[in-house]
Amino acid sequence: MSLRQRLLLLFSLTVAASVAAVAWTVLVRMRTVFEERDQQETALFVSQFQREFQTRSSEVAAAVGRLAGSDRARSMAFEIAQSGDAAQYVTAAQTMAQDAQLDFLEIVGPDGNVVSSAQWPARFGYPEAAVKAAPQTAFLKQEELPDGSTVLGLFAVRPIGNSAPSVVLIGGERLDRAFLGELPIAPGMTVGLYTLAGTGSEPGQAANASASAHFNAQQLIGVNGNLAGADRYAKLIESALTSGEQSSGILYLTSRREDSANVTAIPLKNESGHVLAVLTVALSRAGLVEAQKTIRTTAYGVAAAGILLAIIFSLWIAARVSRPIERLAQAAEDVAEGNWETRVPEEGPGEVEVLAQSFNHMTEQLKSQSEKLVQTERVAAWRELARRLAHELKNPLFPLQITVENLQRARALSAEEFDEVFRESTQTLSTEIANLKTIIGRFSDFSKMPKPELEHVDASKIVKRVFSLYSGGKENGKIEFKLELSGEPMPLEIDCELMHRALSNLVLNAMDAMTDGGTLTLAARPTESGVELRVSDTGEGLTPEECERLFTPYYTTKQHGTGLGLAIVQSVVADHKGTIAVESHMGSGATFIITLPRANR
Amino acid sequence: MLRRAAISCGVLLALLTAAPHVFGRTRPSYGGTLHVEIAGDPWQHGTGIARRMVMDGLTDFDAAGMLQSALAVNWKSDNNNHRWQFQLRPGVVFQDGTPLSAANVVAALNADCDGHCPWTAVRAVASSVVFTGEAAMPNLPALLASDEFLIALTVKPDGSTPGGNIGTGPFRLTGFTNGVLQLGANENCWRGRPFVDAVEIRVHRAVRDQWLDLSVGRADVVEIPPEMLRQALQQRLNVVAVQEAQLLELHADGTGALANPMLRGAIANAVDRAALADVIFQKQAEATASLLPENVSGYAFLFPTGRNMDEAHRIRGGLNAPPLLLSSDGGAAMQLAAQRIALNLKEAGFNVQTTAAASRHADLELHALPMESRNPADLLVLLIRASGEAAPQELSFASITGLYKTERDFLASHSVIPLLDLPRAYATGPRVRELKLGVDGAPDIAEASLEDAP
Repeated sequence: MSLRQRLLLLFSLTVAASVAAVAWTVLVRMRTVFEERDQQETALFVSQFQREFQTRSSEVAAAVGRLAGSDRARSMAFEIAQSGDAAQYVTAAQTMAQDAQLDFLEIVGPDGNVVSSAQWPARFGYPEAAVKAAPQTAFLKQEELPDGSTVLGLFAVRPIGNSAPSVVLIGGERLDRAFLGELPIAPGMTVGLYTLAGTGSEPGQAANASASAHFNAQQLIGVNGNLAGADRYAKLIESALTSGEQSSGILYLTSRREDSANVTAIPLKNESGHVLAVLTVALSRAGLVEAQKTIRTTAYGVAAAGILLAIIFSLWIAARVSRPIERLAQAAEDVAEGNWETRVPEEGPGEVEVLAQSFNHMTEQLKSQSEKLVQTERVAAWRELARRLAHELKNPLFPLQITVENLQRARALSAEEFDEVFRESTQTLSTEIANLKTIIGRFSDFSKMPKPELEHVDASKIVKRVFSLYSGGKENGKIEFKLELSGEPMPLEIDCELMHRALSNLVLNAMDAMTDGGTLTLAARPTESGVELRVSDTGEGLTPEECERLFTPYYTTKQHGTGLGLAIVQSVVADHKGTIAVESHMGSGATFIITLPRANR
Repeated sequence: MLRRAAISCGVLLALLTAAPHVFGRTRPSYGGTLHVEIAGDPWQHGTGIARRMVMDGLTDFDAAGMLQSALAVNWKSDNNNHRWQFQLRPGVVFQDGTPLSAANVVAALNADCDGHCPWTAVRAVASSVVFTGEAAMPNLPALLASDEFLIALTVKPDGSTPGGNIGTGPFRLTGFTNGVLQLGANENCWRGRPFVDAVEIRVHRAVRDQWLDLSVGRADVVEIPPEMLRQALQQRLNVVAVQEAQLLELHADGTGALANPMLRGAIANAVDRAALADVIFQKQAEATASLLPENVSGYAFLFPTGRNMDEAHRIRGGLNAPPLLLSSDGGAAMQLAAQRIALNLKEAGFNVQTTAAASRHADLELHALPMESRNPADLLVLLIRASGEAAPQELSFASITGLYKTERDFLASHSVIPLLDLPRAYATGPRVRELKLGVDGAPDIAEASLEDAP
């Protein structure tokens, strides 16, 4: 990844992270504010509900009290007390309840049995347990109706007259949709009332709350009937029913987040502490969700704009910083490839300019040192060449000198002896002069390496040609030749003659290394990016020191070698943009590996 | 008994109140329009007040509840009561002038029972009607006296269908406007002309409104439901009443959820008859567990009327009944009675819902059946047929013991559960003279006259 890309990524991440952090902080803070507001609204509603409840309680108690104090009720109570015949009042409660605008009214005789019931006229004669321990104030009670349903009511008990036992009125109002509709409900607030189903063993008896904790969505009503998504309230309501404590939570009424609400379930208990109903207050989270959406959208927009700015900024930074550095990197690569003339513009901010100056200074130093090194190597090469020439020429010159001195001394001999000496001396002189010519010719060949004339050829062809040239020779009877070629195409762009000479040189060296016989293997196989040619022998092998110096000109391990053979091979391979290497271990032979680039077509 | 005595005293008191009028005039006067108000339908089978005013049966029950001739002057049975022949009264004409013929009677009877006839075939033979049945029909004359088999003209001589009810009774239908059914005197009635010239029956009138109309003179005859009879007497209304005029019975459908007779038996034991009689019907009804009243059969006391919840639970055992539907006809008291029964049954482990309207799908039905006869055998047959059950195959009416055995065996299935004997009563205004009720409490308007008739 380039510096520019890293800078772009870094800036983008920085901007995005900053925006995300700000957005998250705002969202959390906003949610906290909304939750605090919801709690305040819920607390306010609960307070208002309690006031409304108290007001209703007072109204119910007053209404029942007025009924109990009416002449009609007193007359009825007197008649019942005197005659003991309550049958004639079996329908009285309905009329009285209608007059007093009460939803529930029962007249209970001195024996504790119902004389008349407005809500369930057929329940006369059954005991009414609620009157036994009824408080002076109004209380909650579940009332079972003839159709089997149970409704929640706010009841009050008032005796008719002061004597005991007396006829008692128990009347009440239904806590239902109408009651919910009269509560001060704020916008966005949904109020529900969950009442338990009746489980009383006797008709009309209060339900056993603890036994009815299983949620039934039909029993949860709102101002406009059944609450939407009533099933979702199950857990909260069951929690309130079982624990008897207020419980709160976030309910998702539909799959849309806007349809979620902060819901508080408030248990409503009777005098003995049994939960008879649960009041639910749901505050819509639509406002919060909308605000969160807006903030998220804004954050996305800011992040996108920030990333765009980061791109622009990174491009600008690239122009100021990364581009000079990239130029420096490219220049360093050029220098590494040997182009020491490479220079970079000495510009850029601060350290970058200093870096460019240092780079240019470094390349100048490198060039200077290189030229010095070349000159030194050139002097060394000339000295080595002079030494080798002197060494090579000294060997034939010494016989020449001896022969000439013999000829000078032979002038004193007889003509016949002189002729004998002269003939031998001339022969020796010819031989040594020929040796001198040979030495000079080799040096001439090394200095006149021709430029390769490339042609397209498969490596197997050139290897086969060398193999066929040497494998059939009679003088090579002790050496076994092996040819190992890959079946895949191995195209090369080479000068066939030069490469043939190079391979032949390696084959001859290998044959020289196996004077007692062995196996010589010629192989060719494709590699990932080129073609590999191998010449292996099973001779004595080379020492690591020999391997290192093997391709140095004029280095030889042979008694009569010039040390130019492998140098010529290396020169040929280098001219083909290839490499040559040797692998050898003492006693296990040696392998010369020529790697050439694969031809493009 | 005390209650009955109290009612009788009330009736006597009412009569004494009207004594100056009664004894002041020895002969009833003809003419005038009698204003009657009712809460129900005047053509309702069994209790419709207009039916017997317009139509007659082949036979009839007299004021004592005994069988007497009507459109048939005599009858005889053959083949061990498998064949009956009724000789028609000569000279009888329908209110539109159509002569009564055996063919008319056969057509009317076939229309009445609509395939559910007690006979197999009925045909006209000259001026007589012949009934034949695969089963013996020992009480056919009593059945033909019931409200079910009144004779109405179904086809005119020219083949057309008459509009409205045309019978041979003392009154003919003259109109129906603004909720008032208008009837005129049938001058050619075979029984003789009624005293009043016309009767106007205001239908579907609330009882409280009827009483108000009676108090201000807008009505001459108004209804007194059993549950309000006590109140009517306390208010010193001029009351005419018949005790044990109707049988309140609970009919259990033995083909549905209550196919198991054990469940029906549990229901019979769970119902609290005393609460129904004493509270809902204000001690004006008599709890009963038999079809026939005590004063008719003499053995009604053998059927225990008390509630026995232990027995109900024992009989029901572990049987589970699905939710039951209880329907009731009649007014508020009948509905309250149905609710009370549902409440009783809830204690016995039944889940019962009530409905005010008669429902074909009801598992239990609360009915008030008219008791038109005072002949034990006739009344038993009439009640069994009115309850919708098939008459027992083995009928033994020869002795009171046989009658008891027949009724006991019939009630043992608990398909019909007798609950109460109900009174039927009317209050009359000061103008009305000689309003009498049949044994089933139906008013005999034809015999009533008006004080101020011209």
